[in-house]
Amino acid sequence: MNWRHVGLVFCRELRDQFRDRRTLFMMVVLPLVLYPLLGMSLFQIRQFMQEKPTRVLVLGIENLQGVEPKLVDGGRFAAGLFDDPQRAELVQLVDARQMPGFEGPLSWEQKREQAKLAVQAGLYETALYIPPDFAKRLAAVREAMKAQAPQTKLSIPPSSSSAASPGKSNEPLAEGTGLSESLVSESFPSKSVPEAVWPTIAVPSPEIFYSTATDRSQVAFARVAELVERWREGITAWNLEASGVPVQAARPFHLQKADVAEQTAFHGAALWAKILPVMLLLWALTGAFYPAIDLCAGEKERGTLETLLCSPAEREDIVVGKLLTVMLFSMMTALLNVGAIGLTGWMLLSQLPGLGAPPIWSVVWLLTALVPMSALFGALCLALASLARSTKEAQYYLMPLLVISMPLAIWPMAPGVELSLGSSLIPVCGVVLVLRAAMEGNGWQALEFLPPVVGVTLGCCALAVRWAVEQFNSEKVLFRSGDRLELGLWLRHLVRNRQATPTAGAALACALLILMLKFFMTVGLAQLDDFVLNVLVSQLVVVLGPAVVFGLFLARSPRQTFLLRWPGSGWRGLLPIGAAAMLAAAIHPAAMLLQAIIIHLYPIDPAVLRALQRAVRSVPSFGQLLVLAALLPAVCEELAFRGFVLSGFRRVGRPTRAIFYTALCFGLTHPILQQAIGACAVGMVLGLLAVWTGSILPPMAFHFTYNAISLSLAVWADQEAAAASLVYPWPVVGASVILSTMLLVWFWKWTASSNVAGLRTSAALQAPSAAVPTPALADPLEAFSTSAAAPDGNPACLPADPCLKPEYKT
Amino acid sequence: MICVDRLTKYYPDLRQGQVVALAGLSFRAYPGEIYGLLGPNGAGKTTTLRILSTLLQPTSGTATLNGYDIVRQPAQVRRQIGFVSASTAVYDRMTAWEMVEYFGRLHDLEDRILRHRMEQIFERLRMHEIREVLGAKMSTGMKQKVSIARALVHDPPILIFDEPTVGLDVLAARSLLETIAELRKQGKCILFSTHIMREAEKLCDRIAIVHRGRLLAEGLLDQLRCQYGQQDLEELFFRLIQEAEKNHQEAAYSGGIERGT
Repeated sequence: MNWRHVGLVFCRELRDQFRDRRTLFMMVVLPLVLYPLLGMSLFQIRQFMQEKPTRVLVLGIENLQGVEPKLVDGGRFAAGLFDDPQRAELVQLVDARQMPGFEGPLSWEQKREQAKLAVQAGLYETALYIPPDFAKRLAAVREAMKAQAPQTKLSIPPSSSSAASPGKSNEPLAEGTGLSESLVSESFPSKSVPEAVWPTIAVPSPEIFYSTATDRSQVAFARVAELVERWREGITAWNLEASGVPVQAARPFHLQKADVAEQTAFHGAALWAKILPVMLLLWALTGAFYPAIDLCAGEKERGTLETLLCSPAEREDIVVGKLLTVMLFSMMTALLNVGAIGLTGWMLLSQLPGLGAPPIWSVVWLLTALVPMSALFGALCLALASLARSTKEAQYYLMPLLVISMPLAIWPMAPGVELSLGSSLIPVCGVVLVLRAAMEGNGWQALEFLPPVVGVTLGCCALAVRWAVEQFNSEKVLFRSGDRLELGLWLRHLVRNRQATPTAGAALACALLILMLKFFMTVGLAQLDDFVLNVLVSQLVVVLGPAVVFGLFLARSPRQTFLLRWPGSGWRGLLPIGAAAMLAAAIHPAAMLLQAIIIHLYPIDPAVLRALQRAVRSVPSFGQLLVLAALLPAVCEELAFRGFVLSGFRRVGRPTRAIFYTALCFGLTHPILQQAIGACAVGMVLGLLAVWTGSILPPMAFHFTYNAISLSLAVWADQEAAAASLVYPWPVVGASVILSTMLLVWFWKWTASSNVAGLRTSAALQAPSAAVPTPALADPLEAFSTSAAAPDGNPACLPADPCLKPEYKT
Repeated sequence: MICVDRLTKYYPDLRQGQVVALAGLSFRAYPGEIYGLLGPNGAGKTTTLRILSTLLQPTSGTATLNGYDIVRQPAQVRRQIGFVSASTAVYDRMTAWEMVEYFGRLHDLEDRILRHRMEQIFERLRMHEIREVLGAKMSTGMKQKVSIARALVHDPPILIFDEPTVGLDVLAARSLLETIAELRKQGKCILFSTHIMREAEKLCDRIAIVHRGRLLAEGLLDQLRCQYGQQDLEELFFRLIQEAEKNHQEAAYSGGIERGT
């Protein structure tokens, strides 16, 4: 890479962006103006919303006569029930006696129904119903307490008994009135009176009618419930006093609360630690996206990209130069926006008690985390934007990017998600968690997880940059012409122009189809508790089906595509097959260790394991189990993944990459995450076997043996959950690593020595996708295109040319 | 010099399966001459020139520019050429001076030499009045001048012009052609593609007529006139294309019969 060129590209792009008035306005001016304005309007709207009074219908005010303290005083709720006298205005009492619909000779039950309907119809936000005899019974309770005062002083039973022994006699009454809405009825004083002392007195429960269908009704309910609660406390105090028991008997102490964070720098840190990282990431992404569109799709649209590409600047120089620009803009946007939000929010929230400014060095942490995140988002946006033909197309890519990355940023905000090695390995999420830990004052814990987080972020970043460079190297992307989309035509084109093996696109489509079918199957067959049917459908229909259909229509040679050949001549072909089975047995202990490490990092739900075990044991015989869970997957999954998908991916670049992509797809088809990671690792070995031997049989043998061993362990393991996380003794694991390495080396050497046919297949697989000569083409050209498919992959070397030779020497 | 050897280029296409943009094109162009690529729209001129300027990869075949292979040594090739085409645009938010300076720096020119060279070019192309004008405010002719200045700033031995007069008025086109003729005098090897016969007649030393990605005729202008017994280049061009088109249709028809469709 030429850093001088990178610098030149960076400076030019920067100057270009700063000369664009719109960019500057969106980036600098808008956040500085927008948030204060938004904050102000929020303030006004809030005042607007809070001042709305609610209307409460009270039915049965006459049943309150003589009850002290008073609930209703002079046509409104008693002023003593409110903390703030001004809040009394917010709860307007409507006396049912003066309202139409409640007059006349109606029974209480009819009136109660009437009130309920009125709330349902939205005439009142809530209704409070005081049943008949309420005052009378309450007075009776008080009288009884007064009379029995001397005994009760000695024999007040523990309060817990009140819930355990509700008076039998009050049940009919309570049933008559106790509906689900009557939320306050449960703990009225009548019930807390022990049966042994006052056996017959029960006070009927008042009820509140409200509706969760409207917000206003819920607000009104909260207000009224608070009032009634206070009123009840008043009654309790009054009763106790009447019976000569001190108030302290019901409330022996008062709880004091103190927030220790108030004395430290982390006052209100928890809130800031949740808001700021998400805001930062959101704006870092947005800030990266728009410049990236302008720098890639925009340049393509304006035609300046071609100018730049025929200059001596290499593609890497251009991409890195542009990436630095995008990064800088992403950071600036994020900082300005978060700064403006922080300032506005702080000014608004500082009026709330208990929240201060964000601690100053949390800002330092934010700045540090911003650099890798901007790099990651910048590289991703750049790659997407260079994929797009026009700025309009590039804009379409923003939404998917947001949909994928935002959950990663927001999930760590969920309570209970803690910083651990497992969570720190998830891109974006790890950064947010480290940031949160640091801002909450756990700096040391954050430091401990910094290496994995930085490693993962840099790794993702490097991948994204490589992707972007690849986009710039692909002429299909750079000179994409707007083809009319015609589905039928396109499909016919795919089938007509298919080659011996499928394209990478076909492989990807097949893998995606399998994934989707798998998902729908898991959802659709979830209720079906039939293990056998489940396995049959998932292997034959979901995995093998798409691969076979795709293989028939999108590849000319099923033999080459699915690697259907005997791996060697005659009996020698048995060697790699047997060796593959041995390798499976040898590698198993090492794989189990890996599985145990994965489960340690991302603990698995025991219920999932138990379900698996149950499923395995539901099969009557071990032989059947072997066929269903070892042989069938070995055949179907190998044909689909090591057959079709791998053949397709081998069209792009080196076989190692194809093996990795295939293993990734293979891993993803496993529904349990922990299983998927392990399957991905095993998939790499399977891919190696397929590429080295050029035959599907060794991978099948490996797959069958591996599954068979795992199944035997699952069936014969002592404990149910033990099988999944079984760890062999260390010497066995060590031997396993050594033996499997030796076997892999043997495979490699065996391939090199005896595999002429294998080479032939791989050459055919890597041949450029040219050469379907049209009838108009003359013979020399056809000869030419066949020589182009020479195994070295380069376009054909020409025969000695008088024009070429002297020139190369100069 | 430019040495093109059996270049082919296929594009995938939904309708026809595969489009042959170049079907084994070969030619050579030497220093001190203007080599004209003549052909109707879609003949493969732009594809050829894009391959030569390393923007596209050939499907097969090769080409060398001053001895550097376009596939294996693209970076060196780019230092040998100045490429001007209708699709190599000028940056909107850069002045003429800044734009030329930027590309000069990308060519690793020293500041002193770059300044000197730029003064010369701006003088020769009479660009002083647009020196501080932003690309967005320039007329098509001005933009084309800036493009040529950008292509000349590193003094490349090979210049490639892809229909450079498209969209220019008569005056601008004439001055552009004069500039190109002047460059020939300096011993540059110039490849010039056009579909305008008058330009080719006036400017080019040798001409290649291209149709459907193959060479129909090649040679000095007078040579071609003698060979086909036709003085008017436009007539000559028209006849050749018509014949080729007829042959093509016949071949396609007989190919269809052989296949039994």
